[in-house]
Amino acid sequence: MRELIVAYQRRVAGFAYAITGRSDSVEDLAQMVFVKMARAIDRLKAPEQFESWLFRLARNTCIDHLRRQKLRRIFTPFAPEHENVPEPEGAVDSEELDALRHALAQLRPKDRALLALVQEGRSHAEIAATFRTSVAAVKARLHRAREHLRQHYHSDET
Amino acid sequence: MKPEHQAWAALREHAASQLAPGFADRVLGAARARPSPLFVAHFAMCAATAAACLAAVALYQSRDSGDEDAKSLAGWSEIAAQANDLEQGI
Repeated sequence: MRELIVAYQRRVAGFAYAITGRSDSVEDLAQMVFVKMARAIDRLKAPEQFESWLFRLARNTCIDHLRRQKLRRIFTPFAPEHENVPEPEGAVDSEELDALRHALAQLRPKDRALLALVQEGRSHAEIAATFRTSVAAVKARLHRAREHLRQHYHSDET
Repeated sequence: MKPEHQAWAALREHAASQLAPGFADRVLGAARARPSPLFVAHFAMCAATAAACLAAVALYQSRDSGDEDAKSLAGWSEIAAQANDLEQGI
């Protein structure tokens, strides 16, 4: 189990960061994903689908986390200056990364997850299985998500 | 390499650097731990509050409908007595 965690921890951390855009929640989210993995791996029937299964866990964990945050904001609204607290000083050390982070922040969490899965090298069929949808729908959503990302990425760069 | 690809690589690197050393061991420790007593206590508190609310509503409802029944019965008895008097008068 330890080897599995070590093998995937960097990829899961990158995936969580792409979806949430927050450095300070990466470790907590990665930990939640691997705790869920450790508790449920015995129930995984097809070991060859391990990666798809792990990234589905990661995607659901990150999206649940964003939903909970949104709910929490409804019940305990923060003052405007406490909303969207910027990343700590020095947390983002390259302009390219900053531009990508800002561009990703303009997309819906599900589209961020979609793009991050593509970056993880998942095939369209695997992504369709993760999202429980058709390959055609994945291709269409991916096309739109890439277009949006490109627009925001280049507008941030200029 | 496209700038966008470099940015994705930087994003993955940056995220990986957020994991403190000993991450895997901490995860294994957390996975072995039982659900925290705080969570269990929180759940028990919610269940007890919900049960108390339901009991209060049920009690209020039964008392309220009992009063209503008594009032209606008294009203009907009065009407029946008046009808009886009228009948005897005729």
